[in-house]
Amino acid sequence: MAAWKPLDEMNILSSRYPRIDGPLKVSGKAKYTHDLKPEGLLYGLILHSPHPAAKIVGIDASKVEQHPGVKAVLTDLHPTGTCRYVGDTIAAVAVTSPEIAHDVLDLFKVDYEILPFSADLDAAMKEGAARVFADKDNISEPRIDGEGEIESAFGPDDIIVEATYRTQVQTHACLEVHGSLAMWKGDDLYLWDSTQAVHGVRESVARYLELPMDKVHVICHHMGGGFGSKLQAGNYSAIAARLAKLADAPVKLMLTREQDFIAAGNRPDSIQKIKAAVNREGKLSAFQVTTYATAGIASRAGVRIPIVYEDIPAWRHEHYDVYTNAGAARAFRAPGCPQGAFAMEQIMDELAEKVGMDPLEFRLKNDSNSTRQKEWRIGAERIGWQRRRKQPGSDAGQIKRGVGLAAGIWWPGGRGTQAQMTIYPDGAVEVRCGTQDIGTGSRTLVAAVAAEELGLQVKDITSLVGESDFPKSGSSGGSTTSPSVAPAIKNTAEKAKARLAELAAEQLGALAVDVQFADGKAMANGKSLNWKALCGLLGTDPITVHGEWVEGLSSAGVAGCQFAEVAVDTDTGRIQVEKLVAVADCGLVLNRLTAESQVNGAVIQGISYALLENRLMDPVTGSQINADFENYKILGALEVPEIEVIFFDEAERGVIGIGEPPKVPTAGAVANAVYNAIGVRIREIPMTPDRVLMALAKA
Amino acid sequence: MVNFEYIDAKSLGDVPDLLGKRWGESEILAGGTDLLDRLKERLDTPKRVINIKGLKELHGIQNGDGLKIGTLTTIAELAADERVHKSYPVLAEAAASIATPQLRNMGTVGGNLCQRPRCWYYRGLEYKCLKKGGAKCYAAEGLNKYNAILGGGPSFIVHPSDSAPALIALGAKIELLSADGKEEMPLDEFFELPIDNLRRENVMNPNEILTTITVPKQPNGTRSTYLKFREKQSLDFAISSVAAVLQLQGSTVKSARIVLGGVAPIPWRAEAAEAALTGKTLTAANIAAAAKASTDGADPMTQNAYKVMLTQNLVKRALEKLAG
Amino acid sequence: MAEENKKSGGISRRSFLKGLGGGVAGAATLSPTGLLSEETTKAILGPQAEMLSGSQKIQLKINGKTSSVTVEPRTTLLSALRNQLELTGSKEVCDRGQCGACTVNIDGKTQLSCMTLAVDARGKKITTVEGLAQGDELTAVQQAFVEKDALMCGFCTPGFVMSATALLKQNPSPNMDEIKKGVSGNLCRCGTYPKVFEAIDAAAKKMRKGG
Repeated sequence: MAAWKPLDEMNILSSRYPRIDGPLKVSGKAKYTHDLKPEGLLYGLILHSPHPAAKIVGIDASKVEQHPGVKAVLTDLHPTGTCRYVGDTIAAVAVTSPEIAHDVLDLFKVDYEILPFSADLDAAMKEGAARVFADKDNISEPRIDGEGEIESAFGPDDIIVEATYRTQVQTHACLEVHGSLAMWKGDDLYLWDSTQAVHGVRESVARYLELPMDKVHVICHHMGGGFGSKLQAGNYSAIAARLAKLADAPVKLMLTREQDFIAAGNRPDSIQKIKAAVNREGKLSAFQVTTYATAGIASRAGVRIPIVYEDIPAWRHEHYDVYTNAGAARAFRAPGCPQGAFAMEQIMDELAEKVGMDPLEFRLKNDSNSTRQKEWRIGAERIGWQRRRKQPGSDAGQIKRGVGLAAGIWWPGGRGTQAQMTIYPDGAVEVRCGTQDIGTGSRTLVAAVAAEELGLQVKDITSLVGESDFPKSGSSGGSTTSPSVAPAIKNTAEKAKARLAELAAEQLGALAVDVQFADGKAMANGKSLNWKALCGLLGTDPITVHGEWVEGLSSAGVAGCQFAEVAVDTDTGRIQVEKLVAVADCGLVLNRLTAESQVNGAVIQGISYALLENRLMDPVTGSQINADFENYKILGALEVPEIEVIFFDEAERGVIGIGEPPKVPTAGAVANAVYNAIGVRIREIPMTPDRVLMALAKA
Repeated sequence: MVNFEYIDAKSLGDVPDLLGKRWGESEILAGGTDLLDRLKERLDTPKRVINIKGLKELHGIQNGDGLKIGTLTTIAELAADERVHKSYPVLAEAAASIATPQLRNMGTVGGNLCQRPRCWYYRGLEYKCLKKGGAKCYAAEGLNKYNAILGGGPSFIVHPSDSAPALIALGAKIELLSADGKEEMPLDEFFELPIDNLRRENVMNPNEILTTITVPKQPNGTRSTYLKFREKQSLDFAISSVAAVLQLQGSTVKSARIVLGGVAPIPWRAEAAEAALTGKTLTAANIAAAAKASTDGADPMTQNAYKVMLTQNLVKRALEKLAG
Repeated sequence: MAEENKKSGGISRRSFLKGLGGGVAGAATLSPTGLLSEETTKAILGPQAEMLSGSQKIQLKINGKTSSVTVEPRTTLLSALRNQLELTGSKEVCDRGQCGACTVNIDGKTQLSCMTLAVDARGKKITTVEGLAQGDELTAVQQAFVEKDALMCGFCTPGFVMSATALLKQNPSPNMDEIKKGVSGNLCRCGTYPKVFEAIDAAAKKMRKGG
């Protein structure tokens, strides 16, 4: 089985090195889909439904077609003719300038038959609520999961806590809106897409447009944020392609910021009703939870609970998806997990308090993960767990501080990536891999793994990613990219090295197997050949090799834990996270610098989720009232706490992804810290000032 | 944006005539940070936009017996001005709390006073609310956590300006120029409640321009501060703010001006709180009484009762700060 | 009557009582739209007056050179930069002045190009992110952003670089609080902030040493 060389022999991997596309990004030269402007470009626009529920009676585009700036119009886009959310696609048009967008869209005359709607979870669950789908109830059949006999599990001697927690809908709010640029060259469709999956989009678009897959070329060289919302193809790709065909010109269709909020995905909300028991030994003994959540017009709004502390003799989870007249949810960084962890970690604290145990001690007792057992102790030491208020809410004055903790977790590994390496006689090295760099640093990782293996520097490698014509790799999701890509690059480089070793061996008078590659040289027998000279032996023909993911270099399963310290202003209800310690593990850390960035990012999104973000649906009109960055509030520079990232190294496990696990615990850790600060438990996020003040007033 | 014709004004005297007599036909471009937002949302579709940035006489701060602030003075200039810092801390603090560095570089004092409300129903073209000539205030039955607790009805917007409460607390006057000539008025009388003027927030006519703000020299013993509360510090409007200007004689409050922002459709004079302080010393009990009185008459909506507590606490803090 | 007027809204008590009239406009000819006719406008502004409507060519001074763009009055500077000059370093993210991704420097101050009309930028000195580096030679701020990994997806990065550059020009030795305030008008969704702060601090130190 393949293996990484020992850490102390590594020159690049596991150290800190800047990403190779940094200079392009800081100078404005990196071209994202949104930035491209081929000759003759037209701008695609989508007309969306202003009604949360309506039948399309008719679309009159005659005035649109007469507008001189209009080059193509599509009115056959709605699959059923019944719009079920504000933002549903009605029609599309290609125009000559972005300035005329509204002039043109206002010319569409659409006749709607307005239908009643259910804008959010509470509305949709009410007796007699308007049905989102005429043929089925808003509340779906339950999904039931569990182990043991829950009915008899709550014993007379057990300590029992019952509580209900709520989480909100969080939107991805990627800075680069979703969108595509479509350009036809003969029968071939070139599609630049802001995507997390160039290969996935190629398959979907080819199927939808009934094109052979080899005729569709999806490209994404730089991408302005996805967080799960760009894992699938969007309808905008196919619409752009159709408009481009009709107009015989390239069409760039980027959603508007509003459309991005309302129609391009979100994390479902949740109501979680829990009854949990601890026995006299301080072990979780029974856990019963019923959850309701909405993915809008989609299903699969699942909540992962119980989470982390799953060694419970008896547990049962009954989940109900609830349909609402709102845009469909999409995967969002650790789907289902931050919701579950927010409730789970708080009820763990509530149980610990009732049983008279320190929350950390209670975790150590109930957490079966051996890695996290060590991580809990590291984090506790770094945050200064002893500073936790023994009596919650006991600080004097208006500003009250507290400390809280929560656990991280994640499962998937990654596999299946293929790659290609070409080595030229002048020493140039190109690696092609059909993964994409969504800001995680995967382009850099491809170069770094190749350089490490060939004994070169990162700068010596040309790393080519983000094209579906490159060897297949999966989507950048589920924290699978590094564990899938890194082994494939290593395997590919090994194959190239084997070819070069044969050439070197002859020159060095050694056996090919004895040739070592390091410091820009091939070495054997006490002699060496520098890289350029070695590649010169190729004569005129470059060599190209293919490699793929192999077993042994990566694995799955992440632990991690976080400790938060907060200051709550009891005059205003504002919570400031002052410090957050994130203990993270991801096996072999490929690049400490970019890995830290991933953890920072997850933590900041987690705090933002805990304190501010909230998609608000207007009950009167059924539209999202805050589909903008003024009122959909995201943590900013002045709210960011000191974040200490500590990697718990387990290089022997190989590569594991780190994008998602640190997002899981943050909201729970912050909520527990808030309770420790003010002595009042807030069971709903976001913990905005109004909620904090009202909770304090009630207490 | 709906297209418009664009004029660079060359002389201040031309502006009232260029503006015309009906609302909606012309708009003044100064900092543009509110105007472009409204144009992009198509809340306003003027036929003409008049850029007044070239009018030199409207720029800058003059120091005489008090301050004379040109309407085009940027918020950044106001926040950085030494004289403002030294003698009018409430104004410097208010200016520094506005928006973001970029928006402070662009936005002007005149624009900050004349900006339109941020109510999300007002800002969305799809909501045909009272402010836009519609039949209802959506906030009354909808989502109203940021809306008015004082002076609301029939519309429940809040006035978003930070500079206005500070300037009113300092007793500032403004000068308006119309085709009829100049008119000076106390800033306090500039703003109008929805019950008096539903569609606009102040007394200006379509063909008027706000040209100058004068801040009187404050008597010796004046202390002032501005406290603003927002959900996040990085770009957010006030949920509640307090501008407090106290004139102290020894430890006694000789006069008090307390003006609240973000809680009413206009900058809200907390007269009961002012009365509660006048002639008193700043003891904890007197501060508490004034804080409580600051929201006299509050009538919270379904989701904004917290703003009453919040406002009282902010007033208390502001007074404690000035006492200390 | 006054009560009636209040209810219908739209016209303030003051305007109702005071009425309108007098002045130049009182005698001026109104065009059918109610606006002043072009003729009257010219009469007010003088014969040299410039009234822009429809599409026209204007000159902008960007990154030290003069460029021609064809714009309507409603075209924003951001749109002119991105869609005509292919200066796409300034990003369109919110298009409402809420995120700072389109930050440019106009006459020495950071401003938002999405909230600036292109016609209003005539005659002003505009610097975009593309105008910072000398060829491939990055500025100290840009270098520090790369070295400290102060970027992930990179879409907010040009705006942050512009704000950081302006901050250090104004304040060469900012403390952490000043650094945070200096970039508080820029939104990042990947959560890169800690490394942005670190990079600005490092760049400041390097620039003070004259590096």
